[in-house]
Amino acid sequence: MDEKLIKFKIIRNVVVLLAAVIIIWSIKLQVFEGKKYSRLSEKNRIRMKYVAAPRGRIFDRNGVEIANTRPGFYVSVVRAAIDSTTLERLSSILDTDGATIIEKSKIEKNPYNPVKIAHDISYEQLSLIEERIDVLSGVEVGVEPLRNYPYGELLFHLIGYVGEITDRELESDKTYSIGDYIGKMGLEEYYEGMLKGIRGVEYVEVDARGKEVGKITEKRSIPPTAGEDLLTTVDISLSESVAVYLEDYEKAACVCLNPQSGEILVLYSKPGFDPNLFTHGIQKLEWDILHKDPNAPMYNRAIMSCYPCGSTFKPFVALAALDSKLINEKQRFDWCAGEYRLGRRIFKCWKKHGSLDLHGAIVHSCDIYFYQLGRFIGIDTLFDRASRIGFGKKTGIDLPNEKQGLLPDRKWFEARYGSNWTTGHIFNLSIGQGDLLVTPLQLACAYTLFANKGKIPIPHVIEKPDTTYSTKDVSSEAIDIVKEALAGVVARGTGTLARVPNVEVCGKTGTSQNPHGEDHSLFVGYAPAADPVILVCLIAENAGHGASVAAPITGKIIKSYLNSKRQHEIAAVLQQGTSVQED
Amino acid sequence: MFKKIDLSIITAVGALSLLGVMMIYSTAGSALMARQIVWLVFSVFVALVFSRISPRIWANLTPLIYLASIFLIFIILLKSDVYPKRWIRLGEFSIQPSEFAKFATVLMLANYLATKKKLQSFSDMLAPIVIAGLPALLIFVEPDLGAAQIFLPILIVMSYWAGMSGLKILILFSPIISAAASFSIYVWAIYMVLLLIVLYFRKQLTDLIYGLVSNSLVGLIMPLVWNSLKVYQQKRIVSFFSPWVDPQGMSWQIIQSKIAIGSGRFFGKGFLSGTQKKLEFLPERHTDFIFSCLGEEFGLIGIIIVIAIYGYLTYRLLVLAKETRNRFSGIFVSGVMTWIGYQTFVNLGVTMGLLPVTGVPLPFISYGGSALLSCFMAIGVCLSVSRTKMAY
Repeated sequence: MDEKLIKFKIIRNVVVLLAAVIIIWSIKLQVFEGKKYSRLSEKNRIRMKYVAAPRGRIFDRNGVEIANTRPGFYVSVVRAAIDSTTLERLSSILDTDGATIIEKSKIEKNPYNPVKIAHDISYEQLSLIEERIDVLSGVEVGVEPLRNYPYGELLFHLIGYVGEITDRELESDKTYSIGDYIGKMGLEEYYEGMLKGIRGVEYVEVDARGKEVGKITEKRSIPPTAGEDLLTTVDISLSESVAVYLEDYEKAACVCLNPQSGEILVLYSKPGFDPNLFTHGIQKLEWDILHKDPNAPMYNRAIMSCYPCGSTFKPFVALAALDSKLINEKQRFDWCAGEYRLGRRIFKCWKKHGSLDLHGAIVHSCDIYFYQLGRFIGIDTLFDRASRIGFGKKTGIDLPNEKQGLLPDRKWFEARYGSNWTTGHIFNLSIGQGDLLVTPLQLACAYTLFANKGKIPIPHVIEKPDTTYSTKDVSSEAIDIVKEALAGVVARGTGTLARVPNVEVCGKTGTSQNPHGEDHSLFVGYAPAADPVILVCLIAENAGHGASVAAPITGKIIKSYLNSKRQHEIAAVLQQGTSVQED
Repeated sequence: MFKKIDLSIITAVGALSLLGVMMIYSTAGSALMARQIVWLVFSVFVALVFSRISPRIWANLTPLIYLASIFLIFIILLKSDVYPKRWIRLGEFSIQPSEFAKFATVLMLANYLATKKKLQSFSDMLAPIVIAGLPALLIFVEPDLGAAQIFLPILIVMSYWAGMSGLKILILFSPIISAAASFSIYVWAIYMVLLLIVLYFRKQLTDLIYGLVSNSLVGLIMPLVWNSLKVYQQKRIVSFFSPWVDPQGMSWQIIQSKIAIGSGRFFGKGFLSGTQKKLEFLPERHTDFIFSCLGEEFGLIGIIIVIAIYGYLTYRLLVLAKETRNRFSGIFVSGVMTWIGYQTFVNLGVTMGLLPVTGVPLPFISYGGSALLSCFMAIGVCLSVSRTKMAY
């Protein structure tokens, strides 16, 4: 019996000891580490969710929406909760493969957070997923605001597009979350800060499979703030007309602006691409094709393509000569016999012009006159005046990736050709060929000098109450002389096809030789001469002479704009009239 | 009828069973609760019947019961095509023979040990080892590591209670410690030195030879055995030693269970309000991990009360074992006490992350008819013992 009592006590003590161990351990878990585990349990349960803000809309000058948002359905997955059968089902619904889905979901480091893996799914796909949502563990669908471009390709280069944010962009800016859209080009990129708005925050309760089970009421959610709307100066109906006029040309660019205010009316580049397709999440293959296309559809020719601007440069050579008072308008040089001999080289003109004064040389676009004029005033004067007007410099438009072109000076020639550089280079420069490179927008802005009596406005796409000018300090007499010649170009010179009935149009043709094929056809014109409201700079690549292609199209654009402007004015007057009557 | 019956045991078991029904409702809903209630009513009935049968009759019936239970496990091992081979389907219900094997083995061990007036040498232990080892081995093969391990503490405590000296048992089962220590060569070396010291002072040649040979052999063979373990069994052991390494795999259970218990804090989140449980972060929350939900919903207060009830039940069984004059009855009750006590400790230890994950149900509380019925059978026999404890 004694032995039994000892054993009883030993076993009893062991039982007490084990119970004590368990109790001490639970005191450790629940009292000392209770706070930590409570936090972990909340973290398990509550998921902070960002709610995308609807992007600001973009309007044209007449209040037409040219970019807005529409609701679209997305699919997201929680990597930790997804299993192989779910992956298989989901990839067959979304017509992709499981590896791609997993790859996409890996952008989010935390496997318990949902990641959007498909945007803008079809109603059919949506219903297929919703039907099986109970067996598709870790899969969710939701609604998000998606970007929509009603005019598609027409405004692609001007507005740009939005695409899913990349890892690097995500890292550099913490106000974005995974799966957000970000402006990638054009206005969307330039005004990203205004357009994007502020994302909201929502707290939801989730279960172990990452499925949302409800809203959390004890934590207040913050609704998203919509992005600001952009009011642009773009004229959508004129843009449509421009696109129609350029239908027959594969590659072209057109800038229309108000020369007095610098408001961009049209900024068109061809070929383009429908930006709505980027919203779906463009496939890598399509992306590669888009970038390797020899016609470069991603490229905004109006501000990024640099061309030798041909004869459209001549007025500025004349202006440089007049402004520096090295000649007057009566100046004549050796007469034009169709060609000009310089040492052993022969420089040609496109026609035998005979003897011309400055006015006639601009009107008839005589190359031989300008060869000699260029040589006469010299590279330094030419560079000084042309660079003052803005050649070789960015215009400062509110769009990203503007190119500055190239205006060569003495140093540049020396660096490029060494001591071999000759008068021949000046000859070429004087007729806008050779090394000169100009963007269509740059050229348009340079011409506002004539249209706007010596003041060049900084071009802008967004409506602004007042315009910033850069005054060019060029004598107004010189400007008037060249202006008169520009009127003559359209009235009786090379640009007669740009004539518009009852309106005095000023302009200059240009034919830009290039090594890649047929000449580019250029025309810059503005109207009405006395009080210009539109300036058009148009280039049709590989289309031929400026006189025969670009000039007539410019005439049509000017005519179309002035007509619709008059109609708007009449409508406004009528409306005023009726409202007066009502009073 | 209840005059001489131990009411304290009935009260403790009743409280735990009702708590179990409540927790099953909280974790698995009313449908499973209803099934558990059906099992509970049946189990209570069986226990009452068993309590009317005198221990002498139990002793006579023992070999039959034992063989029947071994036979049942054999059948599922041969016939079951579901893996793991743990259940036999009987219409609406499925039963788990391993649970009944615990009851049968405790009976059989008590029956055998009661006939041995003196337990001194290793050879006396041979038969008990076979009696407990056979079902343990079969269950291990199913495989069900959690159920198989119970037989060892039962064997140890019952033979200890039957008269074996503690040191002798320690030496006998020392190869198990050797196996555990063999994971690290240094730990194993230190263990072997300590063992040698003990054996030297004991000054018994058979003990010395047995201890040295068996421990050395096991220590060398262990790495081979490790490799023969099922991957999930290895993983469980590994994940115990490094639970945060692989939060989605095995240790997910431990982490979520600890989060559940820890976040219950002092007073708990309230009955039916456990978020870990409700949102299904807890795996096996109505069976092996039901205690985590209990900790989450009732907090430290709830845990202390539950442990107090289990402690009290264990203590009462121990007292009963001591007070019983009949040798068979005493040894039997000590076995039941070990079974319930050990299983409770392991279950609680696992849910709290104190022990490696082994699937062990919490007696009287976890969902599962076989485990409940088997425990009630044992309690029924214990009540019969308490009724007749003054008789030899």
